[in-house]
Amino acid sequence: MSEYGIGRPTPRVDGVEKVTGRARYAADIALPGTLWGKTLHSPYAHARIVRIDTSAARRLPGVHAVITGADTRDGGLWGRGVKDAPVLAYDRVRYAGERVAAVAAEDEDIAQRALDLIEVEYEELPAVFDPLEALRDDAPILHPDFNSYVGFRYKQERPSNIHHRTHLERGDVERGFAEADLIVANTYVTQRQSQGHLEPHSILVYIDPSDGRVHVWHCNKVPHFTRAALAHTAGIPEERIVFHPTYIGGDFGGKGNSRLTPIAYYLAKATGRPVRMISDYLEEFMAGNPRHHVIVRLKTGVKRDGTITAHQVEYIVNSGAYAAFKPYGTIGGANQAAGPYRIPNCRIDSVFVYTNNIPGGFVRAPGEPQGVFAIESHIDEIARRIGMDPAEFRMKNLIAEGEETPWGERLEHVRAREALQAALDAAGYHEPKPPYVGRGVAIGERGTGAGEGTSEIALYPDGRVVVGTPIFDQGTGQYTTIVQVAAQELGVPVERVRVEVWDTDAVPSDSGLAGSRGTYVNSTAAYEAAQEVKRALLRLAARELEWPVEALTYADGAVRRTDTGEAIAWQELVARAGEPVRGRAHVEVPRSHTTAFVAQVAEVAVDPETGEVKLQKFTTAHDAGTVVNPIGFHGQINGAIAMGIGYALMEEIKVEDGRVTTLSLGDYKMPTMRDMPPLTTVVLPSEHGDGPYHIRGIGEGPCTPVAPAIANAVADAVGVRIRDLPITAEKVYRALRQNDTTKG
Amino acid sequence: MVTTTLHTVRVTVNGVPREATVPVYRTLVDFLRYDLGLTGTKEACSVGVCGACTVLLNGRPVASCITLAVQADGAEITTIEGLADGERLHPLQQAFIECGGFQCGICTPGQIVAAKALLDANPHPTDDEIKEWMMGNLCRCTGYYQILDAIKRAAEVRG
Repeated sequence: MSEYGIGRPTPRVDGVEKVTGRARYAADIALPGTLWGKTLHSPYAHARIVRIDTSAARRLPGVHAVITGADTRDGGLWGRGVKDAPVLAYDRVRYAGERVAAVAAEDEDIAQRALDLIEVEYEELPAVFDPLEALRDDAPILHPDFNSYVGFRYKQERPSNIHHRTHLERGDVERGFAEADLIVANTYVTQRQSQGHLEPHSILVYIDPSDGRVHVWHCNKVPHFTRAALAHTAGIPEERIVFHPTYIGGDFGGKGNSRLTPIAYYLAKATGRPVRMISDYLEEFMAGNPRHHVIVRLKTGVKRDGTITAHQVEYIVNSGAYAAFKPYGTIGGANQAAGPYRIPNCRIDSVFVYTNNIPGGFVRAPGEPQGVFAIESHIDEIARRIGMDPAEFRMKNLIAEGEETPWGERLEHVRAREALQAALDAAGYHEPKPPYVGRGVAIGERGTGAGEGTSEIALYPDGRVVVGTPIFDQGTGQYTTIVQVAAQELGVPVERVRVEVWDTDAVPSDSGLAGSRGTYVNSTAAYEAAQEVKRALLRLAARELEWPVEALTYADGAVRRTDTGEAIAWQELVARAGEPVRGRAHVEVPRSHTTAFVAQVAEVAVDPETGEVKLQKFTTAHDAGTVVNPIGFHGQINGAIAMGIGYALMEEIKVEDGRVTTLSLGDYKMPTMRDMPPLTTVVLPSEHGDGPYHIRGIGEGPCTPVAPAIANAVADAVGVRIRDLPITAEKVYRALRQNDTTKG
Repeated sequence: MVTTTLHTVRVTVNGVPREATVPVYRTLVDFLRYDLGLTGTKEACSVGVCGACTVLLNGRPVASCITLAVQADGAEITTIEGLADGERLHPLQQAFIECGGFQCGICTPGQIVAAKALLDANPHPTDDEIKEWMMGNLCRCTGYYQILDAIKRAAEVRG
């Protein structure tokens, strides 16, 4: 652990602002003359828009603009990367909740009244909700113009609802199945989960009439990407748009999304006034972009001794009406459904299907909880079928250093078994347990993402150290990380370092936050900026003091002469120069081949009368690199596990005929403080990781094995297997009764 | 034409008398945020279940998203802006920072105000009492463990 920065538990630098209410989020920004924007949503899942009459709404005093798809369709389609969603629907709507019109008015109440005055005539069309039905030849085709869309790699040979598919095959799968003693096939289904960021989507857009610049304040963690998307849709140059920094009230995948951005832009353009839009939570549920409903079919061949001979994955993603809310139109998880196991013969097929449901989006570890729930439940089922302990079966089959994953990736510094063993030991996995108590184990892994980042460190004559960054932190603590880096490299206390967050004018592009890469990318950028500033200090000392530059080095806050032992503190040197000294770096960090394994053990007690599952204890073990800030590191793990527990036991966006029925945080249950079990966390640090400090990402991985660990614990406790999430008391109760009946 | 009944609401917020004339249907959270400019109080669920908008009304915690401004007429209100004594943070604020009791910060004003009401009523709560009281304040970031730590630390510091 360093005296200054890296490894030291460091309280958040945004702490005072956030605990005093001074931190400003997008909804807190006000400009004179700001109007409120609101949207009208389709009540139909699939319908032709025959007519929209906005005249009564336009006549309402206090209304400044009413826009529909007719006003926005000449621009491009909307999307994070792939573009298939209209800004406002025209011609037809493809899901219940789709935005069909928007108003800007003096206040929120007038805006709401104006929406009520808009008349839309719809003609319902046949709808398809089930992805398997949407794959049939006679299914209604949602996007007949698919091949004209921008950004998709996939091209349809004939009209269909498939917007992406993958096929991967290694070894000889049929021969592998032929060699098996036993073939186990199961289907697993996962539900829609909300990102659940408590800050609803909020935005303020103002177009300055003097120069046409578009100013945006928005809860957006990838402002450079969203700026590009808005430029594309609005048909204006990127450099005309500037995103200003604000705090972001939670992300979990949802704040890379920016569905309100183009609507607020068009309203601001139509009115010449600043326009603020704040979704309410009804809208977050009715027209959000949740974790995808996925059907996973697994088939595995295994020998009696526990050797896996073949494995087959069919991964069917219910994309909903649009792919626009996932950057490349896809999510992960299909590979993960083969697991980190030694499988010589493996086939993985995935298909992404349009249906008339709310469009899925990115949610923490997109796709991976779905794939991991399937494989880790399935592995347990196989182990029980061949009479092996599920943990032992995993130990036998987990990949080791030098072995490839089933999808052909060679990972470095693999510590799968070590993580599993640590979890088993800490959980007392093999200890005796009373009736109706069960323990379940699951394992997952996630690598650290790649991306580009920029950082600048400035040393001022008055002693200030300022780190500049283009990052809009969504809550994970990136500002504290870069402060730690500056403190570490310059040998100054963290308390002395301040953060300056730049708007999007400051750098040409930046990856923003996603993919568990924030600490990797931004600590690397800040590290390189620190090296630059140190070099600048050496040059300055050489100039100011006429010291030989080749004899100079920087250590412990001072420039030192190695030949004479003389030294000058950086403050004195910079004060002497009378102007700030800066170091700036732009980095592009490659995708890592190091991953981070996480093994978890859930202990549950199941009430045999009611089916209620009580999570008594949870253990999580993490294969990690350097832990930069233990407070933030554990915060990521804790929060991810809470999200996993919600996914496992209670969270579900329920949909009936395409209409969301869980429309508030009263109906949609997220874990509360009382739902959290006693937690044991084991960290296995190492010197193997990415970037100058050898770190491994932690933001997403911990949420993926939680649900299968709990499902496996329920199976261990009462012998029932729940293959569709969430694991509610009703499902367990029904399964218990069915078991009773079967046993007679 | 819809007519709107206006009402002048007079309150004492964090010790300061404030007033504004607002429609009778104005929620307390909107009144605080948009009529008085006190944006420290956050609105999330809008149906009174997440706790983000918690303020103290005559010392008792309420969900300001389902309380009307007119209901608060004449009341003493404490919001997150009123906890620190100048630059000196309230022990709960200090403890939330030290323990990592927040990440994104959007639920934090509500968490801290609710916890203040708890410690005012029960200076030395047990873990179960804290969980019972705080279960009305959702947090998606922290998994709650570090919030629990923070409330316990603040209780210790306050003595």
